[in-house]
Amino acid sequence: MALSGLLLVSYVGFHMLGNLQVFEGAHALNGYAAFLRDMPILLWTARIGLLSLAVLHIVLAIRLTLRNRRARPVAYAVREYRQASFASRTMAASGLVLLLFIIFHLLHLTAGVIDPSFADRLDAEGYRDVYGEIVHAFQNPFIAALYLAGQLGLGLHLSHAVTSSLQTLGLEHAAFNRFFKTAGPTVALVVVLGNVAIILAVFLRIVRG
Amino acid sequence: MMKLDPKIPPGPLETKWDRRRFSEKLVSPTNKRKITVIVVGTGLAGASAASTLGQLGYQVECFCFQDSPRRAHSIAAQGGINAAKNYQDDGDSVGRLFYDTIKGGDFRSREANVYRLAQVSTQIIDQCVALGIPFAREYGGQLANRSFGGVQVSRTFYCRGQTGQQLLLGAYSALCWQIDRGQVIMRPRTEMLDLVVVDGRARGIVVRDLVTGRLSVQTAHAVVLATGGYSNVYYLSTNASGSNVTATYRAWKQGAAFANPCFTQIHPTAIPPGDACQAKLTLMSESLRNDGRLWVPKMARDQRSSEDIPEAERDYFLERRYPRFGNLAPRDLASRAVKAVCDEGRGVGPGGHGVYLDFADVIAQQGVDVVRERYGNLFDMYQRITGEDAYRVPMRIYPAPHYTMGGLWVDYNLMSTIPGLFVIGEANFADHGANRLGASSLMQGLADGYFILPYTISHYLATVALSLIRDDHKESRAALRRVTSRISRLLNSKGYRTAASFHREVGKLLWNHCGMSRNAEGLKSALTAIPLLREEFWRNVMVPGSGEVFNQELEYAGRVADYLEFAELLCHDALHREESCGAHFREEYQRDEGEPQRDDGRFAHVAAWESREGESPILHKEPLAFEFVQPTTRSYQ
Amino acid sequence: MRFTLNIWRQNGPDEKGRFVTYEAHDVSSGMSFLEMLDSVNQGLIAKGEEPVAFEQDCREGICGSCSLVINGIPHGPDRGITSCQLYMRRFSDGAVITIEPWRARAFPIIKDLVVDRRALDRIMQAGGYISVHTGGAVDGNVLLISKDQAETAMDAASCIGCGACVAACKNASAMLFVAAKVSHLALLPQGKPERTRRVKTMLEAMDREGFGSCGNQNECEAVCPKRISVRFIARFNREYLRAGIVESGLPAEPESPHAEST
Repeated sequence: MALSGLLLVSYVGFHMLGNLQVFEGAHALNGYAAFLRDMPILLWTARIGLLSLAVLHIVLAIRLTLRNRRARPVAYAVREYRQASFASRTMAASGLVLLLFIIFHLLHLTAGVIDPSFADRLDAEGYRDVYGEIVHAFQNPFIAALYLAGQLGLGLHLSHAVTSSLQTLGLEHAAFNRFFKTAGPTVALVVVLGNVAIILAVFLRIVRG
Repeated sequence: MMKLDPKIPPGPLETKWDRRRFSEKLVSPTNKRKITVIVVGTGLAGASAASTLGQLGYQVECFCFQDSPRRAHSIAAQGGINAAKNYQDDGDSVGRLFYDTIKGGDFRSREANVYRLAQVSTQIIDQCVALGIPFAREYGGQLANRSFGGVQVSRTFYCRGQTGQQLLLGAYSALCWQIDRGQVIMRPRTEMLDLVVVDGRARGIVVRDLVTGRLSVQTAHAVVLATGGYSNVYYLSTNASGSNVTATYRAWKQGAAFANPCFTQIHPTAIPPGDACQAKLTLMSESLRNDGRLWVPKMARDQRSSEDIPEAERDYFLERRYPRFGNLAPRDLASRAVKAVCDEGRGVGPGGHGVYLDFADVIAQQGVDVVRERYGNLFDMYQRITGEDAYRVPMRIYPAPHYTMGGLWVDYNLMSTIPGLFVIGEANFADHGANRLGASSLMQGLADGYFILPYTISHYLATVALSLIRDDHKESRAALRRVTSRISRLLNSKGYRTAASFHREVGKLLWNHCGMSRNAEGLKSALTAIPLLREEFWRNVMVPGSGEVFNQELEYAGRVADYLEFAELLCHDALHREESCGAHFREEYQRDEGEPQRDDGRFAHVAAWESREGESPILHKEPLAFEFVQPTTRSYQ
Repeated sequence: MRFTLNIWRQNGPDEKGRFVTYEAHDVSSGMSFLEMLDSVNQGLIAKGEEPVAFEQDCREGICGSCSLVINGIPHGPDRGITSCQLYMRRFSDGAVITIEPWRARAFPIIKDLVVDRRALDRIMQAGGYISVHTGGAVDGNVLLISKDQAETAMDAASCIGCGACVAACKNASAMLFVAAKVSHLALLPQGKPERTRRVKTMLEAMDREGFGSCGNQNECEAVCPKRISVRFIARFNREYLRAGIVESGLPAEPESPHAEST
């Protein structure tokens, strides 16, 4: 769980960094996308790897959740939490939100099923126009809102996930515990801010087509 | 006619135990597998005995009434455990630990037993370290020691204020190992209610499964009782509310002699009682007396708060009365001194039941952090219960019934007057005489369980040929009938008073007449009152529910019924002992200054009581011979 | 003071439970929570009704018997204490207090607020010990243990086995309990020879008993009466990883010498 999660988190990080190239204009981003597509072996290895990681992560999550549900068949009538964060208590829910969002995202921008209008369009340099696609998408308030909601799920999930994974891997040290404790919220904040920046920048027409 | 043969090996004190171990017969490994031993109780003594017997290859059936063996009341011992290691090189030795213990017990214990205790004390520490008990350490990595209650050397090993807990968890883990190996069958939530004696030998017990209420007989080749003390007969005591006298009292009814029941220790440093509904007294570790100073106002009925009383108007009464030991005077002396100043009207707090235990000096000298490190958990506990901050205002303390030196009579081999019935730990009368020194109950429990009983019980098992007895043997059925009829009597009484109300009443009666100080008149009045109370109990007690289910009130009522009988035995013993020694203080026998007057001529004996159905118990005396030490007046002045 | 109590009553493990409301009158602020329950029970008994079954013994916070979820928090509103160390001055007069048992599949209810916690004992029996024979120990000072090491081991060892960690955990996991025991023994040189086996067998036992898994929410630490830190859970995880690595380095099952000839 922790390992697959951490690997997925690192992908999310790179994904965000790559997409930030949207601020450098169409040339940079489309070039980057083409660079990735130019190496089909690498691309498909990564895709299959990611997919299996995600499937593994989900299967483990479902198994654990079911087991944990069974571990307390009768719920408390009154329940108060002292320390468990909201994020930690809603991992299953935020995970589900995230999964639905990722499916939507893949259908939308990778497969181009949701909005086929931009799927095969090329830019001036003959690259696939990912930049134009993003701009087109996020100018749509519904799509932008949907993506922002997805980011909320992502942030919530990551803020507990990263710290929790470090703990599960046994990382604990008097000198670094503060770092470990804040790692989750920090990673979540950075990733979400990066992604949200893209969405808002397009929506607010800071980045235009 | 009961015979008391202590079976002490002759010869020099130092080699008695070695020679006994050598002369004892052993059981072959193949035969051990066929032998079953019952151990009742899983405190320090019971758990260590059960695990060691399991290691040796016996089949052990172990019982406790708690939901887990780890909850036995040994867990609450705070201060530490003594051992004559002399790691501090401050003049300690086996001989000195022996002498301190026998003198601390006011020369009312057996030399041979106490010497053996001091000898094995060093092994206990090694064993406990090997079991992974995290004793306090020096910066250099060596075991740390502190000085504790009534001695002048540092020989006490400790784990913060939770030594009993750690030692018990160590013994419990050793027990877990044997349960894992299948050598010990553990039966928690199972209470012993009677003893099965066949042909004069202890062969089994009657137990009640506390969850299902089912009664059954467990037979074995020998029975070990490690069921603790009976301070709860006073209702308010430092014991856990489940601690009870039932197992030892039932064994007494079946013919085991009960020795020195009147030797009950009142611990000086408990939190004073506050409320009428109070269910227990909370002990503050005696180690607090290492740094705290006891005082009361010089003036009676002084209503000023502690900080308004100037130094000159404070009476540091222990330092005044016992200049050499000061605040570390032994428990019995300290408790009586506290009672004395309270009786003079100089007590502080609600009802004048309390004296100050003041840490202002040590905080000024060594800083609040040092005090916090040493006693932080105790100060926190005090604050929770009283709502007062002892770093700023002095604590208030008052004596509370704590430990019972009396118990079933045992010989040097820890066997009672019923062959095959062994008694260890606080449940026997053994090693502490008339008063126990601090940090020596843990020592005795573990000495009995780890190092003494496993040898002596093997000798017994090797020397008797015992055929198996069936669960439906006529003695088993008789014992079962006794228990059944008692339970149905309790359930059928259907009166209007709760068992707790009787318990509180008998406790108060004992505290007033057979508590910290006693006199003939009071004891006689208690002996008249107790049978009347008992009669009312059986007429008016209310026990709801039935016997075939989980029924906590039924468990409790059964224990109270035994207290109501046992209280009488306690008073008989206190009345017979016309002297003041150790924890037993008879007002008629004191020197002018209120110091106890011991009478070695008439009372240098163990008083062992034999039960008789429907009549007063019979007294038997085991004379105490002192070959190696000279009984002196126990002066701590 | 007076209080309204909603108490969970249940006759046995397979019976249906329900909340019953009781009024507690004439409660003084210096009463402990359990003494308050005592006084309610005394009233019930005198009326011939069955008292509320609840577990308690030492009443000073060390035996680990008491096990009440008070207003949704195991051991009640104060930190670092057990139910028996809770005093009524902590509540405001007239308050409504809900009392429930520990709830977990591994802790079946025996009656009312009393649960069966033998699962914790069985975990201990699976390896929570050092296999050392009585009498064979070397002198206690032969192995030096640094003060820090001993103190950390003591922090872990102070667990009273009450099960509040399980009760508080969203997943009813016994991780803090197991981690405390594994850490205590792994920190000391005496516990090292068995550490590889111990961490695995104890974890397996925990899984067998039907406890949930650790989600690192740290609620266990927040309710632990002995304030045992979740850092021991990380240490446990390290021990477990280490055990996996060490074990893979051990020789596999030796081949039977007769394997070739047959």
